[in-house]
Order: sequence, then structure tokens, then C-alpha cells
Amino acid sequence: MSPVKFSFVLVILLFLAPQFFIVAVSPQVSKDEAASALANSESVLVSAYDTVLEAEQAGANVSGLLVRLSDAGERFDKAGVAYRLGDFEATINLANNCSEIGNSVKLEADELRLEAYGPRYVELWFNLILSILGIIIVAFGSFWAWRTFKRRYYRRVLEMKPEVASSEP
Amino acid sequence: MSLDDYRSVFIGVSLVLLLLAASPSLSVVVPFSGGSEHFSEFWVLGSTHMAEGYPFDVRVNETYKLFVGVANHLGSSAYYVVYLKFRNQSQPLPNLTTSEASPLEPLYTYRAFVVDGGTWESPLTFSVLESSDYGGFVSIDSISINDVAFPVDIISMWDAVNNGFYYELFLELWLYHTASRSFRFHNRFLGIWLNMTS
Repeated sequence: MSPVKFSFVLVILLFLAPQFFIVAVSPQVSKDEAASALANSESVLVSAYDTVLEAEQAGANVSGLLVRLSDAGERFDKAGVAYRLGDFEATINLANNCSEIGNSVKLEADELRLEAYGPRYVELWFNLILSILGIIIVAFGSFWAWRTFKRRYYRRVLEMKPEVASSEP
Repeated sequence: MSLDDYRSVFIGVSLVLLLLAASPSLSVVVPFSGGSEHFSEFWVLGSTHMAEGYPFDVRVNETYKLFVGVANHLGSSAYYVVYLKFRNQSQPLPNLTTSEASPLEPLYTYRAFVVDGGTWESPLTFSVLESSDYGGFVSIDSISINDVAFPVDIISMWDAVNNGFYYELFLELWLYHTASRSFRFHNRFLGIWLNMTS
């Protein structure tokens, strides 16, 4: 083979080889991406749920957020099914959809948590002051009542006159 | 009554009053559940949305409809996962004594975030897509769950006592635990026996 022909064949091979390479490799890359998107959306869901739970514990109404999380969960499950069936593009789309909803729920839950903490702190302080006042009143009241009772008890005992019983038959 | 007896009564009454006075603050630390029991409800209803009309004799390419539901009475919001599994008579079910789920792989998963006191429900449609009859045993090769086909390849031997080739479609309820950041089998499952007729 002449050097010119050899160079020509080499150039053609250089152009074609990467395409074969890409065809052979791209499904693998796509599968990895799908698996990664799926794992990411699962952790987003869990993280969003944890934040919603914190907001709920702070006293916020989270029922609307939970409905949206269920929607995200449904997309996550569909993404899982698509992954098992080898539809990696659908997996990535559904998993990203799920992550978007999860992230927005997490942000809103965080805002709700902060909003709910204000009144919650006021309520906590109010309860604390109420308890302290109550304890002071009960402690002093009990002490005063006991002293008064004791004084009356002694007075009653001292005012008692011994009865003389007859010794005659 | 002597003065000492009266003192004991006074101390007792004072302590009760002190506890009452401290209850607004104590309620923050000690949860007063009001004696309510914490639990989850889990159900499967038939096609008429009642506890009847469950499929039993199933045929290839016929679609059957059920409803799966969960109610949360755990005292706070809950994250549930329902795994749908399919087995023959010899494959293991969950063990409720040891709180272990069935080791079989789930075919389908439902995910539900339910507020305390709230319910979640979803339809479940299934059909047998492919089956093979070998005389003494039947093999189900593929079933469809909510319009998605899954290969299963499960064989059922002829049950001479109950006259049929029996399979069970069962659902396990799992609950997410925030402390361990993992799902645990919630010790509840529901199953529907199916007789593969043709």
C-alpha cells in the first residue's frame, strides 16, 4: 500500500472509529447518569421530608407540602420503573422532575418552619412564665394555708376543756 | 386525725397543685398523648371500592382492579412505602413474629407522604400477560402492574387439595424512620390469592 493510500485509510478510520466508540459507550454513560439522577432524587425526597417534619414540629400546617411530596414520590417510582425497563432518558426526566418538586417543597418547608417558630417561641415563653407564676402562688399559698391551719388547730386543742366523768356508779 | 396526718395531706395536695401549675411548661418536655394509640391502617379494596369483589380466578390478558390505601395515626406525618410482590405457594411471606419482610424483590412501589390523621389511596390494576400451561404446573412469565409489564417467570404446581394453580399478590407496608434515616418493614402486609385458570 502506498503511503498516500495508507494515509487516506488512516484518516477515514480516525473519523469513523470515534463514532463506533460513542455508540458503544453512550448507553453505559446514560445508564450511570440515570442511576445517579435516581439516587439524587431519592436523597432530595428524604431531605425534603425531614424539613417538612421539622416544620410540622414547629407548628406549621404541612398538609399541602405532603401532597406535593406524594406527587414527587410518584414520579420517583415511575423513574424507578423506567430505569428497570432500560428507558434511561425517561428515568432522568422523571427523577429530575421529582428533585425539582422535592427542592421547592424543602425551601417552602424551611420558610414555614421559620414562620412557625416566632409564635411558638412566644407560646413557650408564655407557658414558662405561667408555670413559674403558678408554682410561686401554689408554694406561698400552701405555706400560708398550712400556717393558718396549724394555728387554728392548736387554738382548738388549747380551747378544749377536760371533761369530768362521774366516778359514781 | 393528728397534726402529722394533716401535714401529709397538705404536702400531697400541694404537690398535686404544683404539678398542675407546672403543666404548661411540662407539656413542652413530656408529650401528653391523651392515651391515644399510635398505629397505621393498611387496606386493599375490590374494584367496587368495597371489601368485596376481589379477583380470584384469573385469566391471561384480563385486567383486574383494586385499591390500596394507608391511614396515618402515628401522631405526626409519615413517609410510607408500599412494596407489591408476587409469589407462588412455596415462596416466603413476611414474618410478622420477627418483623421481617419477604426477601422477594418488589415488582412495583408506591410512595406516600401522609399527614397525621390523613389517608392515602391509589388504584392498582394488574393482568397476567403471558403464562404457559405444562399440565402439572403453570408458569406465569409476565404480568402487568398499572400498565407496566414486568417479567416474573414464577412456576406454580397443581394444588390437589384446593384444586388450582395458586399465586399470591401481596403488599408490604414500610415506614421511614427519621432517626435511622432508613425504611423499616412496618409489620403489616396484605395478600390476595389468585388461581391461574387459563
